[in-house]
Amino acid sequence: MSADDATIVHREPTKEPVLSLSGVDSGYGEIQVLDDLNLHLEAGEIVCLIGPNGAGKSTVLKTAFGLLEPWTGSVTLRGEEIGGTEPADLVRMGVGYVPQTDNVFPSLSIEENLQMGGVAREDGVDDRIAELYDRFPILEEKQAAKARTLSGGQRQVLAFSRALMMEPDVLLIDEPSAGLAPSIVEDVFKNVRTVNDLGTSILMVEQNAREGLSISDRGYVLDQGTVRYEDVADELLDNPEVSKLYLGG
Amino acid sequence: MSTLQLVVNGIVYSSVIVLGSIGLSLVYSIGNFANFAHGDTMAVGAFGALVVAIGVNDYLLNPETAVSVSPSIAAILETTLFSLPIWFFVALVVGMAAAAILVVITEYLVYRPLDTGSIELLITSIGVALAYRALLILGFGSDPQTYDIGRSGRIDWVSESLGVAITPRDVVTVAITAILVVGLHLLLQYTTLGRKMRATADNADLARVSGIRTGEIILAMWVIGAVLAAAGGVFLGLDTLIRPRMGFELLLLIFSAVILGGIGSVYGAMLGGFTIGMAFEMTAALPFVGTQYNAAVAFIVMIAILLVRPTGILGDDTT
Repeated sequence: MSADDATIVHREPTKEPVLSLSGVDSGYGEIQVLDDLNLHLEAGEIVCLIGPNGAGKSTVLKTAFGLLEPWTGSVTLRGEEIGGTEPADLVRMGVGYVPQTDNVFPSLSIEENLQMGGVAREDGVDDRIAELYDRFPILEEKQAAKARTLSGGQRQVLAFSRALMMEPDVLLIDEPSAGLAPSIVEDVFKNVRTVNDLGTSILMVEQNAREGLSISDRGYVLDQGTVRYEDVADELLDNPEVSKLYLGG
Repeated sequence: MSTLQLVVNGIVYSSVIVLGSIGLSLVYSIGNFANFAHGDTMAVGAFGALVVAIGVNDYLLNPETAVSVSPSIAAILETTLFSLPIWFFVALVVGMAAAAILVVITEYLVYRPLDTGSIELLITSIGVALAYRALLILGFGSDPQTYDIGRSGRIDWVSESLGVAITPRDVVTVAITAILVVGLHLLLQYTTLGRKMRATADNADLARVSGIRTGEIILAMWVIGAVLAAAGGVFLGLDTLIRPRMGFELLLLIFSAVILGGIGSVYGAMLGGFTIGMAFEMTAALPFVGTQYNAAVAFIVMIAILLVRPTGILGDDTT
């Protein structure tokens, strides 16, 4: 597959990106998913990855977070190579990751889930939990309840908060709206914005492409493991081709 | 025998089963495989303690050896606590340490480099079980042995007031088991390590993603499981005979205890171990059923409970 479609509007980062993947091939075992993938995230941005099923969106996050090692190419955090670095170390370097499914510890209480999010903190775990309780009162209300008793929307709030325990500079979020009722999806995206407003740069995969792009600064359209389109989010939303091929008309 | 006596025997035997079941359940929930070497880990603990027993009885307290100790030190060694010589408690700790060291070596040498699925690990553990047993036979022979501690009588006031025979070593077995079980509970619920262990059992991938170094948690799991199993092995050896196959022969009962409790649930394993141990000893109270069917009765109880609760007693409580 080739990535040199004339339609790609490639934007050079305006400053050094916090996170960058360049020329990355990656996949599972023998199966290649990403093919010469290039993307970056600048400080303060929300960047949304959209594209059809199997395009490799989640694989991008897993490769950036060390759950998969890039076969070729480089992954850098603030200019430093991090390809294949263990997630436990990346967490300590200011990167957080919210998986799409199974993103809470079901038999642990809400409070314990948050404590687990903060295991890599040297101190201030309790203070940080208090801050998150202030921001998301539902968590404080249910602090002693087991995570498995939460509703879908509440669970997503907890999943975010667990990742936020480390106060990451970069947060990778895999399909935050997956499996949630439309009324709750709005809240989830509002939370993404809130987190971003507090200074965390966000790279987000979203199936719900229009809604995802509408809260994002920039977007990438992935198809067959490579970037097909790249633009500021509003332009992508207005792009007739993107609209026809990837946003359902 | 009175029913109360059978209950007492059941509690003592349950202690051994509970101590074995916990480690098996931990490895299942955190390490993600059914560890067939766990019974033999119990035997390793029993033999680790036997080394101390042999050292004390055959050398330190034997006036004919070069290392025999002076009468005053011998008197200290023979001081008894609950009618058990003080060195027995040292032997117990040595047995626990031996089992812990062996499983940690096994983790680094065998399981960790394999990096494979749970079925492959299960099959590997059968090989590890054979290796442990072979090591014990090589080192100690296959003849039954004892710690060479004289039998103590029953506690008089208990037999007079309740009509049941309880020996001081029964009390030691049950008391130390209770301390270990409560200690594990406190560790799991109230320490960071315990929370990390529960988190890893819940969802190992998310634990990694949260920054938990899961390799360390797996080591802790091995050490805790082995220490408890070894204690069970030592208590079994104290009550019966020390043989290389002693743990292996217990494995089926321990597996049924873990399944009965709800596989992967540590608290379930405790309850399951207690139920199986009780059923095993209470067989003697049944009419028309000989005690040679004690294991069969335990399995029937397990099947009956699983028919009512297919996920086990606490099966829904963990993943």
